[in-house]
Amino acid sequence: MRIVTMDPDSCVACRNCEYACAFKQAQTFERRDSNIRVNFYPEERVCIPGTCVHCEEPWCLEVCPASAIRRNPDIGAVEIDPERCAGCKMCMLACPYGAIRFDARARVARKCDLCGGDPRCVKFCISGALQYVEAEEAFGFRRTSFDAHLMHMLGKKGQP
Amino acid sequence: MSQTRQVFQTLCRMCDDHCAINVYMEEGRIADIDGYEEHPWNRGRLCSKGRAAIDLVYHPDRLFKPLKRTPSGWQEIPLEQALDEIAGKLARIRDAHGARSIGVWKGEAVGFAQQEDLARRFVHAIGSPNYFSNDSMCFNGRWIGYGTVHGAWSVPDYEHTRLVLLWGANPPHAHPNMTQMIMRARRRGGKLIVLDPRLSAVARQADLHAPIRPGTDGALAWGLIRALLERGAYDRELVANHSVGFPQLQAYAGRFTPEYVEGETGVPASLVGEIAVALARAAPAVVNYVGNGLEHHENGINNIRAVAYLDALLGALDCKGGNRLAEGFPTNRLTLYEERPLTDLEPIGAKRFPVLYGMRQECHTMTAMDAILSGRPYPLKAMVLTAANPAMTNPNTEKVRRALGALELFVVRDLFLTETAQLAHYVLPAASFLERSELHAHAMFQVVTLTRKLLSFPGVQDEYQFWRDLAHRLGAGAYFPWKNEEELTRWLLQPSGLTLEQLAAHPEGYPYRPVRYEKWREMPLRTPSGKVEFTSQYLKDLGYPELAEYRPPSYQSSPDPEYPFVLVTGARKLLFYHSRFQNIERFARAGRNPEMEMHPADAARLALNDGDRARVSSRVGTIELPVTVTAPNEILPGTVQITHGYRQANVNLLTPDDVFDPISGFPLLKALPVKVERLGNTVTPDSAIS
Amino acid sequence: MQGVIIGNSAASLAAAEAFRRHDRASELTLVAAEPGPAYSRVLLPYYLRGTLARDRLFMRDRAFYDGLGAQARFGHAVTRVNDRERTLTLADGSGLAWDRLLVACGTRPVLPHVRDLSGPGIHTLWTLEDADRLAPELLPGRRVVFIGSGFVSLQAAWAACLRGLRVTVLEVMPRVLPKVLDERGSALLEQRMRDHGVDVRCAVGIERIERPAAGTRQASALRVVLSCEDPNVDADLVMVGAGVRPNLSFLQGTAVRVEADGIPVDERMRTSAPDIYAAGDAALGPSVFGEAHTAHALWPTAVEQGHVAGANMAGHDLAYPGSLNMNVAEMFGLTVASMGRFLESGDPAEEAVVEQDPRGGRYVKLLFREGVPLGGVVLGSPEDLVVLAVLRPRIRARREGRLAHGQPLRSLHRTLAMQRSRR
Repeated sequence: MRIVTMDPDSCVACRNCEYACAFKQAQTFERRDSNIRVNFYPEERVCIPGTCVHCEEPWCLEVCPASAIRRNPDIGAVEIDPERCAGCKMCMLACPYGAIRFDARARVARKCDLCGGDPRCVKFCISGALQYVEAEEAFGFRRTSFDAHLMHMLGKKGQP
Repeated sequence: MSQTRQVFQTLCRMCDDHCAINVYMEEGRIADIDGYEEHPWNRGRLCSKGRAAIDLVYHPDRLFKPLKRTPSGWQEIPLEQALDEIAGKLARIRDAHGARSIGVWKGEAVGFAQQEDLARRFVHAIGSPNYFSNDSMCFNGRWIGYGTVHGAWSVPDYEHTRLVLLWGANPPHAHPNMTQMIMRARRRGGKLIVLDPRLSAVARQADLHAPIRPGTDGALAWGLIRALLERGAYDRELVANHSVGFPQLQAYAGRFTPEYVEGETGVPASLVGEIAVALARAAPAVVNYVGNGLEHHENGINNIRAVAYLDALLGALDCKGGNRLAEGFPTNRLTLYEERPLTDLEPIGAKRFPVLYGMRQECHTMTAMDAILSGRPYPLKAMVLTAANPAMTNPNTEKVRRALGALELFVVRDLFLTETAQLAHYVLPAASFLERSELHAHAMFQVVTLTRKLLSFPGVQDEYQFWRDLAHRLGAGAYFPWKNEEELTRWLLQPSGLTLEQLAAHPEGYPYRPVRYEKWREMPLRTPSGKVEFTSQYLKDLGYPELAEYRPPSYQSSPDPEYPFVLVTGARKLLFYHSRFQNIERFARAGRNPEMEMHPADAARLALNDGDRARVSSRVGTIELPVTVTAPNEILPGTVQITHGYRQANVNLLTPDDVFDPISGFPLLKALPVKVERLGNTVTPDSAIS
Repeated sequence: MQGVIIGNSAASLAAAEAFRRHDRASELTLVAAEPGPAYSRVLLPYYLRGTLARDRLFMRDRAFYDGLGAQARFGHAVTRVNDRERTLTLADGSGLAWDRLLVACGTRPVLPHVRDLSGPGIHTLWTLEDADRLAPELLPGRRVVFIGSGFVSLQAAWAACLRGLRVTVLEVMPRVLPKVLDERGSALLEQRMRDHGVDVRCAVGIERIERPAAGTRQASALRVVLSCEDPNVDADLVMVGAGVRPNLSFLQGTAVRVEADGIPVDERMRTSAPDIYAAGDAALGPSVFGEAHTAHALWPTAVEQGHVAGANMAGHDLAYPGSLNMNVAEMFGLTVASMGRFLESGDPAEEAVVEQDPRGGRYVKLLFREGVPLGGVVLGSPEDLVVLAVLRPRIRARREGRLAHGQPLRSLHRTLAMQRSRR
């Protein structure tokens, strides 16, 4: 399946992804309506986009007492069914990435559903930090980066 | 996609990036917009503004009918009547005061290329030399700075570079699409160095962010020049055979020791050497990119020229992975500078800023304000303005409002009743970018794209229709013979041999010329000498120093104790483009708008907490707005930043319109002495953090 | 191979799924005293509150068991287990053979030693049947007394508040929710409860329940008599939430070691008897802090333990890293949650990072030891849960001997403050 991969080495915390997601969910640009969050630590100069990685063995799915969380068979996304969700927040406590949020208006938990297979956050990521790629090759770009680094060290100044 | 949904490709014009977009339409109405994957420029990615073009087109406040100012308020009148009345009044003003008493002002929102040239054509067609635009304050600084050195401003060749050096530029907020190019370069092992008094968005990923005092970039550039020369790390062949003035450059560089540079700029002496070494190592594949951040300074042009010198010294001029001299898309020329130069009519500002006029045929907007109010050197009585909002974005708002309000005839074209439109006698509804079709060349890739007209509203004219209708009523119809915008574009295309139909079939851009490097080896550069000009005879003849001499900013050389802070204005925000898009509600609510960025030590000294309101004053004016206390590494102590465009706290109430770079005439907007005071006893709710 | 699971709730269902992931061939049977369908105990307070329809309580339908290829024998309690012959007997007299057995029968409420704590008007809240009996009694204006201020009690008290009853909460400990919150958290919650009109009384002793003579015109049906000088409380109904305990009499005579509050298990969920496992509320399993056998009446723990037990029953070899004491609920307008260990032990190497806004009703405390997180308490809004969620793997990492980096987490709390603003 394809997942949204995140590269903290390319992210500039511009928050286009948050805006795009919040807009799709609720027609706003409020962070609380977005399933993807970018954390920016200015003193450390670190920008970390974080969203659900649709675990193979999702903690949230296991722990949900209302059986409201299922995996979409077509795209593999782990999805919360807002009709079944009781808002108990157990999933929020269970997810180690903090990727599940609570919609205070609808009183249900919400999370990334990969936009049905065409994730908005990726389309609106202007730095390329977010990619929608097959999980097998998810971090292949790191190999390219590393190769460039290695070539530089070996004295072959990288391909111009 | 629903059954009735169709998708069309065009280019976005919410900012100047021109990203390729898919526009999804259902029954004649735009339903969605996203990036178009096939175009090499943005590769399918798009920023949040792009999607919001829909909000703009269908905004409840959008104007669809001409408005006429009457004693009892705005009155809607038919378009034909508006054009008749405007033409009639222009004719009378022309008869009474001469054609040159009429000016035309084109703003950023309608773009450049053919839209700009239409405005230039019109004003010359009716006999006036007075074309004004937003380029009195933008772009020309770099055009002139680079142009005097090597003939034209270059485009960065990110796709092949090894080092990106950014001076006062923040692509993620200003030109979002450049961001992915820079990050791709980094993924390939390229390095990023950012010079900026602020930790801007792009600086968050810099391998080196060197905070530099506003206005002192020239000193750093000279320091790097000296360091490169000292190490012998420069392109001797280019310097020997293709440059003028190297001995003067060498002599002048000597005083810019690392210690001196540190004293001037605040950049540590050790870093100057480090940066020079990084440049030398990566040369010639170094992108050396200057942003608007260097233009708005008293020594802006010469600071930029000094940076431009580096391109030649590094061999990065027009080389692969460096700063390429793009070849433009050949079109028929719309401007009339050859047929009707009208320079004898004293274009406003041409005498004061001969380079601005000489190199760019730009009249000077700030001089126009004085001309309107004083009647000197001659009366300026009427202005036809399109796509601009100088009442918010020109310096010294108070004077701008007075001046524009004093015009005998002020006509404004816009989508909304902006602050500037409110001063007009007539306001005409303008077409958005989705309602017109034009050519755009992406110089970096040398592809040309035809944008697509997807919508039209009755009575809302595109730029061509408007200028044409007005010209015909003023006896200048011969200059506007094309029936409509499409016919015009066909005519523009003739020299290229391409047809509209061909271009329409290539929404991914049509390559008009293969990208070539190092053209200067075979052809002269477009400088008077044909070579890289470290020294410029052209500038010398006009009375300016021939070399890009460094002058410290006056807040540094003669500080005023009453105004102890340095105000930088105009740092970009992702969601706003100058004064545009403040009327999109979710944009206005995302983040703190407006705000003044301030260092925590400064805030603490003034007992200002994050969110407290402060009063900021310059010798020109005062505003009040909330303070954002940044992290200590996000802004230089002693420096504050306020972005322009906010009605609630318009920073141009503080900016002077009488301090300029002497060569470009650009106003000082990014190194202003101000004072900051705490307002009252505000306490913010979230202050109980242990 | 015959796998048998006693129980039909969190631990059992997780175990059944895990078992089948590793063993698709063997037979699997679930037996339980309650008739089913399986329902979520955690959701009962939402049902009482009126925000959840009764049919949404049910977690699994027929298709679930069919899909797992599992037999379901519900409605009959297990009366006896024979670990020599590997059989068990149900209340209806029928029997089942087993090769691997999982005891996940859960617990029942215990009644504290209060005289006459029985009869009409006395309720517990544990089963769906309890909830069905209690729901129609929650009428506006009536007076209800809750004995015990544990999680279940307080959630039910909140439901009663929302439905317009007059609520009194009696707690023998000095503060409310003593096992879930620290002192400051309890104080904040108590204040909130009082703001909502709840009569909160801590450190009380309860003597007995009186019923005024039948036929008289006294307003209340019950009187809770408190010891010492504490004034008595009149009530229309009394709800007891004073603890739970498993009923494990059916294990008598087996080699399974049983204690008063549950069945001790190792980190593989094995009891002292071969091929017999235990999981969920009935088990006393490891905690992430190294305690070998503690009771965790917590849904997420039951799920995790069931997962481990089921996999191991199928021949796999999973070890349970220990319960994190993770719990969350919404009450009195606050999201209340805790995880791990959050009470200072007096060890000078411990330090607490606290963020609070008493006016806004927010209290977040993280406990560290030499920079390594131990646990935390949250009272606030749902977004604040993220802090605890992100701590989860880091607390576990500590137990496996890998020290987590303390430093970035310190800025976590500072960043949380920043994130709440416009950044």
